[in-house]
Amino acid sequence: MEKFSQSFTNLARADLRSLVESRKEEGWRYVQTLAVNTEFGIELIYTFMLDGKMVNSVITGLAKGDTMPSITDLYLEAFVFENEIHDLFGVSFEGLAIDFGGHFYQVAQETPMTIISPEQKAAREKARKVAEAKANKQAASRASNAEFLADHPDAMAPKKSGKMASPSEESVEAKLAGMDPEKVARVKAAIAAKAKKAAQQEQQSSEASSAVSEGVSAGQDTTLDPELEAKLQGMDPEKAAKVRAAMAAKAAKQREASPEDAQATKAGE
Amino acid sequence: MGKATVIPFGPQHPVLPEPLHLDLVVEDEKVIEAIPQIGFVHRGLEKLVETRDYNQFIYVAERICGICAMGHSLGYAETVESLMGVEVPKRAEYLRVIWHELSRIHSHLLWLGLAADAFGFESLFMHCWRLRERILDIFEKTTGGRVILSVVKVGGVVRDIDATMMREIVNTLDGIAGEYRTIVQTLLSDTSIKNRTVGVGYISHEEALNLSMVGPFARASNVNYDVRMFGRGAYGDLSDFQPILDTSGDCYGRVKVRCEEVLQSIDIIKELAAKIPEGDIAVPVKGSPQAGAQASNVLEQPRGECYYYARGNGTKFLERMRMRTPTSENLAGMMKALEGCDLADVNMIILTIDPCISCTER
Repeated sequence: MEKFSQSFTNLARADLRSLVESRKEEGWRYVQTLAVNTEFGIELIYTFMLDGKMVNSVITGLAKGDTMPSITDLYLEAFVFENEIHDLFGVSFEGLAIDFGGHFYQVAQETPMTIISPEQKAAREKARKVAEAKANKQAASRASNAEFLADHPDAMAPKKSGKMASPSEESVEAKLAGMDPEKVARVKAAIAAKAKKAAQQEQQSSEASSAVSEGVSAGQDTTLDPELEAKLQGMDPEKAAKVRAAMAAKAAKQREASPEDAQATKAGE
Repeated sequence: MGKATVIPFGPQHPVLPEPLHLDLVVEDEKVIEAIPQIGFVHRGLEKLVETRDYNQFIYVAERICGICAMGHSLGYAETVESLMGVEVPKRAEYLRVIWHELSRIHSHLLWLGLAADAFGFESLFMHCWRLRERILDIFEKTTGGRVILSVVKVGGVVRDIDATMMREIVNTLDGIAGEYRTIVQTLLSDTSIKNRTVGVGYISHEEALNLSMVGPFARASNVNYDVRMFGRGAYGDLSDFQPILDTSGDCYGRVKVRCEEVLQSIDIIKELAAKIPEGDIAVPVKGSPQAGAQASNVLEQPRGECYYYARGNGTKFLERMRMRTPTSENLAGMMKALEGCDLADVNMIILTIDPCISCTER
């Protein structure tokens, strides 16, 4: 079976014809042309494929009313897409083999895809705000983290296993940045104490778990729930070891995934 | 030589289930040029992505077209999954392909029925649609819907098929395959059908490559291209997959390729039903596509390769969603096939391309 791959590359507006000519010569199959109405103008994406390799070439910075050279003399099948883009985005094509002059589709409004709906506007503003807030938060947290760690080298305690690492860590830092310095010091000391306590508990629990479950690889820090443990005791040792390994992997995955997930969901709200 | 006349064909025509208009430039009953026009059913579904979040849009995607519903929901879900880096469980991939291949069978049977009806072979039309009904029954039993299935979601599928149902599907398909072979034998060996199709609407291999044709239309001209041969998803676990090709390049070749593809799909389903692994059918998908992230995807629909594109903007709404359907890619090929044909063959040629106008215009 052939292998499939896809990629996106940037293309200068002036290089379109030369690219398409060379593609035609090399025997690439024309896949499609599409337009995207972005905040920074209209983008055109030309897609070609050869031996399972699909390449999307992106031309940026077009505006409604611009004219592009048509590629229908080389790839006649592009006439559908070029007429469509003319109708929906207002970018016209010079030298189109079959030109409907903006009347290919029967649409109620002129160039409907260039109209920015209130929803899209809101989505874009929200996305911008979220990105800004995230950047600010990260910068603030990096700065205060560095400062804090310099004062409290013992604060790098391991997170408690199996539980979601508090997603508030960063947001707390961001909040602290805007607070009165005395209070900040108090809060930070409290956090350090908490982390230390958590580390101790962690140690205890891992000791306890290794005491109960013999044969579990060292360094594993998950406590299995006692009921499951009892079941495992009665099972074939090989299978039991597999189940334990799976549980440990799951816990590790959760630990890794949870802070990011929490952030991502937040961004998506 | 007579004077050239323009005959309008469609948008309402008995052979066309959907509105497609052609200006046929005719000279002495010979078509010398055909200019297609579409645009009667443009609904702006791509614009709707701005007001439906990426989970909701899957229901819009599958309503683009009734026949390709399963394919569109699958193609859309795969695109959004690659946009967000989601890995779908193996069992879900198998289930998706099983439903997708079932919908290919139903689409081809629908088409064969329509084709038979266009030749004036009504009893064959009824037999094809009778078999298709049994595929729709499988859909109803496994998903609850007959046309719009709504089983695919971003991250997997919504329903599972248990072992009993899987056996029932395989048994039904075995039953269909037996009856179907008899029908196909009639379809491919009947003289009245051959008279209408052999040598009609010829497209050479070079022209097919030159016009970037896709799907059974291209494979009938010996173009060795089928997205399934890349072995993505559950297709990769098939012991072997070879696109069905024909060298004739005429209407008869296109009928033949589709006829054989139905049997190929039945084999694919049976193989996957035997191999399907146990496990989850979906993974939870959290968060939103990142701002500026973009992904493209291709999928083999019953009519050929379909291209999908998605771009995120950091919110749960997508910035842009695009579907390039096989028919829009094949319109140029259709124009070429119509050149020089008899006026009476126009409907036959249009039908063998199996145009899906709702998909093309979205």
